Amino acid sequence: MSKKIRIVQISMIVAAAFVFHNASAQNAGKPGSGAETKIAAAGDTTDRAKALRAAADALGMIRWSDIGAGATRLPGIDVVNTMEIFASGTVSNGGQSSTADYHVALAYIPPSMRVEITRKGGDAASQHTIQTVRENYAWNESEIGAGLIPGKGTATPAMPAAKARLLQLWILPYGVVKAAIAAGDKTKVSAENGGTVITFPLSGSLAGITVTATLDSKSLVTKVETRPDNPALANLATETEYSDYADHGEVLTDIKSPGHIVEKQAGKTMLDLQVKMIDANNPYLVFPVPPNVKSASTSASTGGAGENQASAR
Amino acid sequence: MRSYRNYLVVAAALVCLLPAAVCAQFTAVKRTINAPPTPSGTTPRTPDGHPDLTGVWNGLGDNLNGVPNQMANDGISVDSENSSHDIATGTKIATFQRDATRGLNNEQAERAASLLRRVGSNRPVYKPQYWQTVKEFDQNANEEDPSNNCMPAGIPRGAIPSYIGQMPNYFIFVYPGQGGLIATQTMYRMIPMDGRKHTPLEDLDGTYTGEAIGHWEGDTLVVDTWGFNSSTWFDQVGGYFHSENMHVIERFHRDGNTLTWTATVEDPDVLLEPWTTTPRVALLNPKPDAMLPESLPCSERDLTHTVTKEHH
Repeated sequence: MSKKIRIVQISMIVAAAFVFHNASAQNAGKPGSGAETKIAAAGDTTDRAKALRAAADALGMIRWSDIGAGATRLPGIDVVNTMEIFASGTVSNGGQSSTADYHVALAYIPPSMRVEITRKGGDAASQHTIQTVRENYAWNESEIGAGLIPGKGTATPAMPAAKARLLQLWILPYGVVKAAIAAGDKTKVSAENGGTVITFPLSGSLAGITVTATLDSKSLVTKVETRPDNPALANLATETEYSDYADHGEVLTDIKSPGHIVEKQAGKTMLDLQVKMIDANNPYLVFPVPPNVKSASTSASTGGAGENQASAR
Repeated sequence: MRSYRNYLVVAAALVCLLPAAVCAQFTAVKRTINAPPTPSGTTPRTPDGHPDLTGVWNGLGDNLNGVPNQMANDGISVDSENSSHDIATGTKIATFQRDATRGLNNEQAERAASLLRRVGSNRPVYKPQYWQTVKEFDQNANEEDPSNNCMPAGIPRGAIPSYIGQMPNYFIFVYPGQGGLIATQTMYRMIPMDGRKHTPLEDLDGTYTGEAIGHWEGDTLVVDTWGFNSSTWFDQVGGYFHSENMHVIERFHRDGNTLTWTATVEDPDVLLEPWTTTPRVALLNPKPDAMLPESLPCSERDLTHTVTKEHH
């Protein structure tokens, strides 16, 4: 064997060894590598964690990224914070039902929601309402952002409505998953009829309300019931059904949302909405509390059933 | 001789069969969190007793602009493999292991980056008449961002300069241009420390970096800037436009080998209230002969290839 051939042989062996081990090192954390599969399996040790992860996954709430990360490989996090929902359907208020356009802007950090209802028919005063809540502050706006700048609309404090409005945030499928994770080991999981039932208590200003959520075989939230301990809070007893899940975004985010929402109180339908579009790409949505609303309330601002969401692994 | 060669072959192969972790040390260190680096070492001081901020501040070699850093800039700290929180409010954020069975294609990766960079709650609060504008700017930033196509990033978007030179009566800040998406040109600032006052705003022609004047507040360098044009946004993500009346107060604090920066933006024309950025922390390049490489000629080549309409 010539010296040249021997050198080529050595080079090939060394190169092959390098390629093999560099590939092993790089694949150690990559999707599909056996090592990571084992880590993931070891991490999901409880039914609760598995069920909540599956629910978050089904909704498309978990993301991670390698773009621009260099050697950084972060875990996944819950990426749902701000969102807009555009829907239409039947809205009941004060015993009267009407067809309406229904526009929701919401945020989970801090817990906030602005519901703009434009009814078709009825008197002018009730045709267009904007109901807003941020933590423990609730107010009605004569126009979006009313009361923040002199001369721009009127913000009317509506503090007694704060809990009911906050509840709407936490009974949405994303709110259910967040609050169930935040409730930690107070969240109970059981299997029923091929699906999963999750029961957990809300916290903060909504303490004393128990949520029971039913997940279908795809781990999508299909039904949410809320039951207050205190009978005086019967208006916080709700039953909401979600169906027709899809990515309803104009910009597709892979975040799934229900296409049909039906909410009942004491057996009476309060909302029956068809979702037209959802912006789930964390759009710019803010909910500053108008000065007159702040001064009208001396209550502490703690507001959120699931504001602290523990790890779900 | 043949035997000696065979030993060489085996030895060379064995070297390369060392545990992958050992070989990996020759490549970049893997980070699994984006929490700020912990300071170490002492803070050097200049003869006049102030902290010496001189040096190349290029973070962890990733120029502070990767998605993990952008998430931190946006206010999300990933503290461990199972814990994250929103920095502004302290709210815990559910954290999950990466799904080993699910790789991301380019579109999914861009969308994930887009979402991740917008989770944080620390957003400037604009006057209500601008809420829709900000939202639409952000959603169409690849077209609307005035810094696209090699224009200056401006202040405070430039954030922590990659090089700081500290003289007795002035500072020099250098911000290398970026290639790739949102290609921006190199910026520099010369910041006097001689106690001078600002030129009246009405006498200034607005510029990208404005009129900056520095002073010390204890061990913190404060850079007070106004006299901007309105041709920049004040963060990389968010569509945060501003007026020519923007006033920016930056604070730089060195602790050992780290430099912490915040900026407070006042713009009564468009903002409802002043806004302060999430603190950003850069690491000092420890090499005594550290240099900034020349910026490549700026040329925007990525925008037409992106999937998202917003910066991701």
